[in-house]
Amino acid sequence: MSVDEHALGELMEESADLQVDAMHQSTEALSEMVEVGHDRRRSGDIDPEHDMAAAARRQELMRKSLLGVGTLAAAGFGAAVLGLFDTPAFADSASDVQMLQTAASLENLAVATYQTALTLPFIGGSSANGVVKAFATTTLAQHTQHGQAFNAAAQQLGGKAQTAADPKYAAVVKAAVPTIKGPADVVGLAIKLETVAAETYVADVSAFSDLNAKKVTASIMGVEAQHVSILLAVQALLAANAPQLIALPPNLSALPGAAGSIGFPNAFYQTDMASPASEGAVS
Amino acid sequence: MRILRRNTDQIAISETELLALTADMEERHRETLPKMHAAVAEYIEGEGAAERSRVSRRGFLAGGGVVVVGGALLAACASSSTKSATATTTASGGGSNAPVDVQAGAMAASLENLAVFAYGAGISAATAGKLGTIPPAVVTFATTAKAQHQDHANAWNAIVSGAGYQKVTTTDPALTSTVQSDFAQVKDAGGLAKLALTLEDIAAATYLNAIGVLSSKQAISTAATIQPVEMQHAAILNFVLGTYPVPNAFAMTTGARPVTDYSVQKG
Repeated sequence: MSVDEHALGELMEESADLQVDAMHQSTEALSEMVEVGHDRRRSGDIDPEHDMAAAARRQELMRKSLLGVGTLAAAGFGAAVLGLFDTPAFADSASDVQMLQTAASLENLAVATYQTALTLPFIGGSSANGVVKAFATTTLAQHTQHGQAFNAAAQQLGGKAQTAADPKYAAVVKAAVPTIKGPADVVGLAIKLETVAAETYVADVSAFSDLNAKKVTASIMGVEAQHVSILLAVQALLAANAPQLIALPPNLSALPGAAGSIGFPNAFYQTDMASPASEGAVS
Repeated sequence: MRILRRNTDQIAISETELLALTADMEERHRETLPKMHAAVAEYIEGEGAAERSRVSRRGFLAGGGVVVVGGALLAACASSSTKSATATTTASGGGSNAPVDVQAGAMAASLENLAVFAYGAGISAATAGKLGTIPPAVVTFATTAKAQHQDHANAWNAIVSGAGYQKVTTTDPALTSTVQSDFAQVKDAGGLAKLALTLEDIAAATYLNAIGVLSSKQAISTAATIQPVEMQHAAILNFVLGTYPVPNAFAMTTGARPVTDYSVQKG
């Protein structure tokens, strides 16, 4: 194991302290969301231009998601549903809640996947790399908190909590689990899930009508991107047959030059793999 | 530059494979640029055109004084090869009536410029042998991060100039002197990484804060596609420094620069 357990423990404790601060900010945002939501409902203080623009974006997302389930669109049901979204007041709550529920479903799947991964000897067992094990454990906890935040936000906007996993990627995980032979397979699967989550949140941020739903999502997207970054670095070192370099602190002088940029391949985060709003929504 | 050479017997395979992976990712990166350009162009044709028209009507009646408060950014710290890092900043001017998206874009561009100059100064100092032995991974990190920050600055400047305001070629006036002072204390790769981490954290916090303030979809999308990248830079820097790389479950706005803190000038 290439890690100083004591030092790592101290780092984890320090990280937990920082986490308390971050949670405080997130809780404030959620509380603010409740207040703003109540105020808006009480006063009817809605900016028509903003809501129409937001509705157009949401309609685009809904169209994308409905086209994804082509049978609905073909039957004409999709068009009827899209018609409902021409009314901004309806679109405000419905699509925001759907996006939050889909986000929660992605988090639920991530939690289940990391839990499963930690039962494997080479991720959570005696043969595991200490840094990889610590990363999986901490990341699992962070995804749990993300899921709670998204569900709280959905409920505060009048929606139901999503306790199930995203169906599309649950099938991907289910198919992948029996084929897992080593840590690289787990890391590859985790990169896919983390990328989908990060790209979904990046896309959603400009589509939310509720300011604080936007803030909560924005506060999570970068964290998923950080997970991707570390996983990409780990994947590259595993692929290079250099697991001994996955260490904290790292042996900087031994790291190949290319390792310095492998974790952030794009100047602008992509959204090609973003999930549509309805993908993981409560039906 | 004194760059530590790796043990080729130990990781010859890794270098080859990592370079291949990096090439793939560079290709993907280039594929994202046209999308960003399209989003910025959409802003310029929409909100930007409206603002250009408004600015034109106002004429120069609201033009304020320009106060140059900056000097040669990091020039005292870096080698003479950083002569291009001359930074002047406008502390006041006629930009107070600019739309918030333009103000935030200018603020963001000034922060990105500061990051570009800081990484550039670090690379120059390393090249001059002032930071001791620099591991190759740190060189690659600094070079790539600098290029990405330049891409970010270009994106924001396209929005700013598209709305009829002057591109921001200077650095954030509130942080420049601090960065100069801090850079003067940098003696090695670790010190450079700490300074870079501070700048990345501030940038990420600023974008997170801005997302709650920006009005146009294009500006929000621009901030949303950049903020995670700054956080990725921070994660790798934390790793380099031996700190847990993803310390928080939620990104924070602590240390965010106010989006209206840079006075943008009419074009």
